Amino acid sequence: MSSRANKKQAARVVRDQIARERARARTLWISIAAVAVLVIAGLAGLVVYQSQRSGEHVNPQHATANGDGLVVGSGPKTVDVYLDFMCPHCKDFEETAGGSLNQMAAANQITLAYHPVAFLDNASTTKYSTRAASATGCASDAGKLTEYVQALFANQPAEGSAGLSDDQLIQLGHTVGISGSGFDTCVRDGKYRPWVQHVTDQALNRGVSGTPTVYVNGKQVEPSLPAITQALGG
Amino acid sequence: MSIAHRWSDLRPWLGTLARLGLAAVWLVAGGSKVGDLAGSGRAVAAFRLMPADAARLVGAALPFVEIALGVLLLVGLATRLAAAVSAALFAIYIVGIAAAWARGLSIDCGCFGGGGQLAPGQHPNYAPDILRDVGLLLVAGFLVIWPRTRLALDEWLLVGEAT
Repeated sequence: MSSRANKKQAARVVRDQIARERARARTLWISIAAVAVLVIAGLAGLVVYQSQRSGEHVNPQHATANGDGLVVGSGPKTVDVYLDFMCPHCKDFEETAGGSLNQMAAANQITLAYHPVAFLDNASTTKYSTRAASATGCASDAGKLTEYVQALFANQPAEGSAGLSDDQLIQLGHTVGISGSGFDTCVRDGKYRPWVQHVTDQALNRGVSGTPTVYVNGKQVEPSLPAITQALGG
Repeated sequence: MSIAHRWSDLRPWLGTLARLGLAAVWLVAGGSKVGDLAGSGRAVAAFRLMPADAARLVGAALPFVEIALGVLLLVGLATRLAAAVSAALFAIYIVGIAAAWARGLSIDCGCFGGGGQLAPGQHPNYAPDILRDVGLLLVAGFLVIWPRTRLALDEWLLVGEAT
């Protein structure tokens, strides 16, 4: 009786042992599979991101030396303005400070560089930030950058909307005096969309993570006309 | 029924609740970012804890990893591992937000999409973000300690095996 009970007990111990081993092995395999899932997910993100990035870009006319913006004027002091055509604060900034900055640039007191970034592509249903910024490249080719920038902000679409269509962007160019079919095809083909990606990447590399962002002679200042004039030395 | 009994009956269901709650948080957080990988990279870059190039890659990979964690937790597969990775991520997020706060950065954490620098005049509110992540860290910790939950694939795969 006692010997049979012992055997039974021993058998149970062995069974439990085997079950535990099996559970451990299975847990290990499940864990390995789960880690693989996480790693593959991360790699999938990188692949999708890479595929979304466009390849080579062409710089528009009047681009900065490294192609990360569009230059107006050739003064000794530099003012860099990072803006997104979907951003309401950029519109405020353009309305309050844009005129004076353009005047200073026209008088060659400053070199004004516009950096039209696409931070807010998700604020419209049609990547308006990218399309509008790309159209400024076309306007720069036509030599009407400042006028076009002003027109874009004057006609800024509401956040969450589809934004202006490509046709409307072309129409806006005509109202500021751009003629010729070069501009029309440039906007319609999205010729400078890869360039906008480049501008956006460069902005990010510089530490710009919001708009409007302003640098005077390479130093970041508050995006307001008083702050800029003060930094320029009155 | 003794208290100890009641706890051991209740705990797996509490674990299910924690697991599904955590899964929902990950799926929402990852899902809100996955449509704008460049924006996600910008949100990471705004923390200024790594070079912009590295931030872009982290920002692209993170939403997918978050969704994968959400799915693992939702179905209850490798719960302990998924919870441990979740806890590690929450700890990193807490450190990141605290570092942004300490350095006086004015950013949106981008925890559920968006992110980046705040507009002038907008003020960041880091405390609720940190408190939320600490809460989530505790929930993940619960699952690391007690990973066996009801309605989980783990339970079904390891059925009949010793725990």
